[in-house]
Amino acid sequence: MQADAQGRRFLLELFGFLPVIIFAGVLVYISFNAPNFVTLRNLELIVMQSLPVVLVCAGLAAVVMAGGDDVVSGGIDLSIPATAVLSAGITAQMLSLGYPLLFCAAAALAASTVVGVLNALLVTRIQMTPLLTTLAMFVAVVGANNVVTASRRINVDHPWIIALRAQDVGGVPLGIVVVALVVAAAFFLLHQTRWGLNLQAAGGSRDAAEISGLNVNRFIDQSFLLAAFTGFICGFFILARGSGSSPGVQDNLMLEMVLATFLGAAFSPRRVVTMWGAVLGALLVAAISIGFKSMGVNLFWTGLIKGSLIVLVVAFSAISQRAR
Amino acid sequence: MSSTSAPSGPFANIFLRFGFLIVFAAFFALFAVWNPVFVQGGNLMNIVEGSAVLMIVALGMTLIVATGGIDLSIGIALDFGAAFAVVAMKTYGLDWFGAACAGIIGGSLVGLFNAALVVGLRISPFLATLSTFFIGSSVQRIFTNGGGPISHRRMPEEFRNLALGQIAGIPTEAVIAFVLAVLYFLVLERSIWGRRIHAMGMQRSAAVVAGIRVNRILLLCFVLASATCAVGGLIAAANIRMFTPLSGFSYLLDAIAAVFIGAALHPRGRPNIPGTVIGVLFLGMVANGLNLMGLNFNTKDALQGIILLSALALAVAQRKARNG
Repeated sequence: MQADAQGRRFLLELFGFLPVIIFAGVLVYISFNAPNFVTLRNLELIVMQSLPVVLVCAGLAAVVMAGGDDVVSGGIDLSIPATAVLSAGITAQMLSLGYPLLFCAAAALAASTVVGVLNALLVTRIQMTPLLTTLAMFVAVVGANNVVTASRRINVDHPWIIALRAQDVGGVPLGIVVVALVVAAAFFLLHQTRWGLNLQAAGGSRDAAEISGLNVNRFIDQSFLLAAFTGFICGFFILARGSGSSPGVQDNLMLEMVLATFLGAAFSPRRVVTMWGAVLGALLVAAISIGFKSMGVNLFWTGLIKGSLIVLVVAFSAISQRAR
Repeated sequence: MSSTSAPSGPFANIFLRFGFLIVFAAFFALFAVWNPVFVQGGNLMNIVEGSAVLMIVALGMTLIVATGGIDLSIGIALDFGAAFAVVAMKTYGLDWFGAACAGIIGGSLVGLFNAALVVGLRISPFLATLSTFFIGSSVQRIFTNGGGPISHRRMPEEFRNLALGQIAGIPTEAVIAFVLAVLYFLVLERSIWGRRIHAMGMQRSAAVVAGIRVNRILLLCFVLASATCAVGGLIAAANIRMFTPLSGFSYLLDAIAAVFIGAALHPRGRPNIPGTVIGVLFLGMVANGLNLMGLNFNTKDALQGIILLSALALAVAQRKARNG
């Protein structure tokens, strides 16, 4: 009997690790089949590719942690990619009109903050579901960005923006350094400070948090502002990656953000969305996209592979959760 | 719900009870004043006709939201419906009825797949249908070799009439949408089966205890919703005599918005068919009215997003104020 129980527990543990094992397996498979996949140059490429997604994932993780991880009724912010595109659009348009970069960035920051404040007001004051609010906000903000940029591609060759992609700091690309700093700051705020722990408590159980005297709505408001801020920064990385702003970036960014963040939850021991999980998820998604591309897999198949991965990972974490 | 809990004053009362309908009427009046063509019978029929596909898709979405879930893959079901029908006629030479059946079966496959994920693997509907969306988009890309449309110029006249024909002077697509809306109303709001759906949507564990076969209902709802969306796909394909891959996605957001506008109009905030119909007609009216204002495409798009967001906020705020 004892052995049975132990064997059962072992199996459960194994099930919990399956998402990680699946990903590791896919990556090993790619590294054997794609030439030069495991080279420093290529790993750097993967990280560079994932930077915009990492940033918005950090923002989404904060909102989910404050609002609870039920996707439909809990906290979610689908509007972050739209905010990022708006930030990129405003900056690109104003740069092309000849304004100095700092002035453009200030305008982009103001616009992003407006989006964050509106999200917060609609969710905590009017009590709209976050899913609905931010989905509608996504459409409105993308519409606003199309007015700003007239749905045209705008080239940006400002040296500071290009530096995010091309400049090295002690052998590491500047972009990676900046994002690492932002993510580290977000991690410190959310996982190490009293404020962050209270925020997590608010999302973990709203009722318990309110009984212990926390102002849950304030944490939700702040998480939306934080998310809008990550969107604002992400805008510059979109500009750097594409040497300008082009229409249509937001759709893919939104899907990858949701995929990476909730995939990240499957990697955490308690199956909750965490900052590290989200970042790891973003990196893995980028690694797999690039890996299959360099293996010569047809681009049309990437959606199928990504979708199947969500199903596999989420199903396994659901099964191990249930068995517990 | 009682009017005593609402703020005093006759105007506040009227607004709380009919707020959204007043806004509906105000927009109607605005568009009518701006361009008298708006209120001519022909144009009003245009609005109804133009809303038919969205109406059909929104009906399916209402059903899923009533079960307590969400379906992000309705666009895929619509695409599959169109694809199966067009291929059935073009490659296999089926007549219009065979093609319509093929389309509906094709759409139902999407629902079956969703049900397998949600009921079988117990993945949350949001993530399950998101992966269906990824996978379904990829399948369409692979099938059409990158997303080119499949056109069928010599489509049978009867099939074309699904979109272009008239029954007693009313466009066939509007008649189909109306008949489906009535059927959905009878099932969801007037039958024991609909009671069960609402019961499980409001409190699933209670529904299980009460002996409702939750899994069977979920399965049926997903299949039924997808089959309904496939009917929308038939009409869309008949309209332009071709299948355009990935075109269903554009209905997703409007369908969600219509369902939630409708839910906000309901005294207890439940998704319901009459509310969804009002939501769809509102969205259709705004799109048509903005078109007639002759605005620039980007401005129109942005305005539509902002109106949608405000309408949702208003509808939710109104319900909240009414319920005290």
